Amino acid sequence: MAIGGATSDGRKDSRDKKLEDILRLIELCRNIESSSVSPFEVDIREKLSLLKKHMPDWALIDVMLKDSEAMQRLVTIVKLQDAWLKHRASALFIDPLLLELKIQMISKEELADSFAKCWHPIAQVDQLTSKGLEKAFVYWRDLVPMSERFKDQFGKYGTEAGTIQLEELESLNIFTKEEFESRLNELYKELLDRSKGVETDYRDFVAGKTPEETALRAYLLAFVVTEGRATLRVDPLTEQIFVSTVQGTPGPGTKSVAIVVR
Amino acid sequence: MSTPEADRAQLERKTRKAFQVLVLQRGRNPGVKGWEMRRYLGKDYKKIVEVLSDDLKPLGLEVFQVPGPEGTDDSIRFLLRFREAPTLTEAETAGFRIDDLAVLAASIALINSKQGRISRKELETFLRNKFPRWRIDYAVERYVKRGYLDRDDKDMLRIGWRTRAEVDERSLMTLILAQGTQATSKL
Repeated sequence: MAIGGATSDGRKDSRDKKLEDILRLIELCRNIESSSVSPFEVDIREKLSLLKKHMPDWALIDVMLKDSEAMQRLVTIVKLQDAWLKHRASALFIDPLLLELKIQMISKEELADSFAKCWHPIAQVDQLTSKGLEKAFVYWRDLVPMSERFKDQFGKYGTEAGTIQLEELESLNIFTKEEFESRLNELYKELLDRSKGVETDYRDFVAGKTPEETALRAYLLAFVVTEGRATLRVDPLTEQIFVSTVQGTPGPGTKSVAIVVR
Repeated sequence: MSTPEADRAQLERKTRKAFQVLVLQRGRNPGVKGWEMRRYLGKDYKKIVEVLSDDLKPLGLEVFQVPGPEGTDDSIRFLLRFREAPTLTEAETAGFRIDDLAVLAASIALINSKQGRISRKELETFLRNKFPRWRIDYAVERYVKRGYLDRDDKDMLRIGWRTRAEVDERSLMTLILAQGTQATSKL
């Protein structure tokens, strides 16, 4: 009996190991499908003979389904190998390491210039079709008012977005008056240094190492602008925002702008 | 029996029709498939497209053919596009910032060097060495929406249909590789 039991355990162990092989094969294929690793990392011939060898041992339907899934994954890998070969033969292939190094070395302007030189935009007339108009109407008609939209998920909790005053920040110990003034002056000096009398990109200027720092710099810069020491200009075509130190008195076209800080 | 004048008139009529078909957006994506062109213009639609492309030369436009996935004539997509590439300034006035164009150029080149597919995470990690994170997120999402990049359910990015239609990918790779060497050779 003991010998029979040992044999049965041995068979079970062997079956478990075979199942593990199949699961490992599925995982390998899955990893290759979802990364840019070469599909030739999988030896199709070897994996097929492995599946063929284990096939007679399967009795349970669940294991058979795993076996067929492994087979289907191998088919996908063969498809990827085909695409890989076609791409490699298409003259678009360049050593990725070389290209990565090159992209790191050249400037953003050079990259953009390379793109513009081989770009042929599509020419087309955009128009509103009756179908599109109907879709827009249905969307607008069925749109739930903002006040009702998130009631199910959030109820009536939460407070509305509002503004925070400097006094409140002081009372929360986020700033002291002196610290705030010195930070404003520091930021203004930095603006003077970086802009050197010409305009500089607003988003590049306020960008900090963390989102919190970016928000803080944008907040401080808003004060510098309000004090009249700097000015903002929005390019109407590209919507790019520029900041510069103020030279002379503000003209009649001066107005307040709201900027979303990402 | 048709006269040469009648033939010419018919060709002109069909060329006009081809232009109208190509310039008006019908579906969600621009361009007209081969089978649609055959339906509008008859079986000689390819010749008519050639004539139209030639006629559009003075306007700086051309008819471009993007091969379909099946590789058949019916699946070819015909599009009207600029014959000459715009300048960087013109591209900027079309609403593309230099940084956005640079992200797209780097993405296309990298995807091509990685056998035409790359995971979004891998691309973003690479781009983060050169561009701020928020710009990458925004730009990649925008380019997927506009068809320059194609994303599958496994979050793998591939070259999109619009890139195939608008960008000379081979030239892009060559130009990027040549950028540094041009400066060096000038020295």
